[in-house]
Amino acid sequence: MTKETYLHDKHVELGARMVDFAGWHMPVQYTSIIDEHKTVRENVGLFDVSHMGEVFVSGKESLDFLQKIVPQDISKLTYEKAVYCQLPNKKGGLIDDLIIYKLGINYYLVICNAARIDEDLNWMVRNKKGLDVKIDNQSHNYSLLAVQGPKADALLRKMGLDTQQESFTIKPAQICGRKMLVSRTGYTGEDGYELLVENEFSEELWDKVLEYGKEFGIKPIGLGARDTLRLEAALHLYGNDLDENTTPIEAGLSWSVPKDKKEDYNGKEVIMNQIANGTDKKLIGLKMLDKSIARHEYEVYKAGEKVGVITSGGVSPVLNTNIALAYVKNDKNICNGSVVQVMIREKLHDAEVVKRPFIDKRNKIKI
Amino acid sequence: MSITEKILCSKSHEYLLKNDDDTYTIGLTDYAVEQLGDIVFLELPEVGVDFKKNETFATVESVKAASEIYMPVSGKIIEINEALVDAPETLNEDVYENGWLVKIEATGDASEQNDLLEYEDYKEELE
Repeated sequence: MTKETYLHDKHVELGARMVDFAGWHMPVQYTSIIDEHKTVRENVGLFDVSHMGEVFVSGKESLDFLQKIVPQDISKLTYEKAVYCQLPNKKGGLIDDLIIYKLGINYYLVICNAARIDEDLNWMVRNKKGLDVKIDNQSHNYSLLAVQGPKADALLRKMGLDTQQESFTIKPAQICGRKMLVSRTGYTGEDGYELLVENEFSEELWDKVLEYGKEFGIKPIGLGARDTLRLEAALHLYGNDLDENTTPIEAGLSWSVPKDKKEDYNGKEVIMNQIANGTDKKLIGLKMLDKSIARHEYEVYKAGEKVGVITSGGVSPVLNTNIALAYVKNDKNICNGSVVQVMIREKLHDAEVVKRPFIDKRNKIKI
Repeated sequence: MSITEKILCSKSHEYLLKNDDDTYTIGLTDYAVEQLGDIVFLELPEVGVDFKKNETFATVESVKAASEIYMPVSGKIIEINEALVDAPETLNEDVYENGWLVKIEATGDASEQNDLLEYEDYKEELE
């Protein structure tokens, strides 16, 4: 059965087109994906991302447990900080990608993808054997609202947010008199916050953000624009750009994987070997040189030979061109600024290999 | 007589409009365009090509996905809307006057239109 978030009726009232996504009945757009996309780049947008999973990890050996399941060095994660992580299997392929927050001593919050919660939990339970760890899936008790865009900070200040937060931090805070966890993170490439609130307050919070946001030009944003926004920022989408046969190194996530972590973790041997010796496939960014649109699973060619496959593709409303992410053979002649071809409806279309992200990200806030 | 009283619609959401000179204009229904959302790309066939009823003759892409467009009747392409290829977003505003796709000379039997619906019936079918 399709699940509904606590904000489902709000979306329907606002006239959203609803679709099934990862087992949830979610808004794909309210008015226009392009308009919603530009709203987030220029002003501020409100997203319901309550379908995402919240798993609390606690217990005396929670650090040992997390060190075992992610390549990142969680011992370096300090109080109220967040880190982007992956959940590799024994071969280094990814079961999911995650954000882990340190909420206290032996107390962590793991945010996972809606479509992967069950797999993640199974994997975590298998890996906690013998460890003093409690894995508490609280996904059903929390709603997650994302407020994203250059005016997100000003809006939340107006609503009474009084924490001072750098990017990738989380703090308990009050907004309009309600307690919640406020995280300066997002999935758009813009500055913004994610508000983790108990379900019973989610409708009130949704309404208030839209009401206070009016003067900032706020609009509700659907999953359609969430996808185009993350693609411009070249943020990976699990299921498209990441899967159980792809390692973080192949996915261009080497920046997130420490080379000097002492503890063993699932897939470490493969991942370390790839850091040292390279990979067979590599994630690249593409910019279409005509008006055609590359999409998921289209094939990539170079000199008449199939060299890879598109994993995400679509329009860039900001660049006014079409962009894509693709896995190709890790060969200098393909990966370094060359022109390749994408097979679209039995015709080859030129595309240029370009740097990721496609746009300058504006989400690095220091205080 | 408004334009929606003159068109016939297919279940795959194309419309067929008979012109005064016995040629036909083919386009997408307003319902189809509304469902697709922001239209960003359009691929039309070349003039002179023959298509059979239900064959794919064009592709329209919204932000979300690519969709094929099918011939509501058999015909030879005699004109394409080139201005629309340059500005496919026009489709989101108007599917008739500026948003038509191709004009054809019908090459099939008149019975090919039997499964097409009048606009009112088409709308009813959607509900």
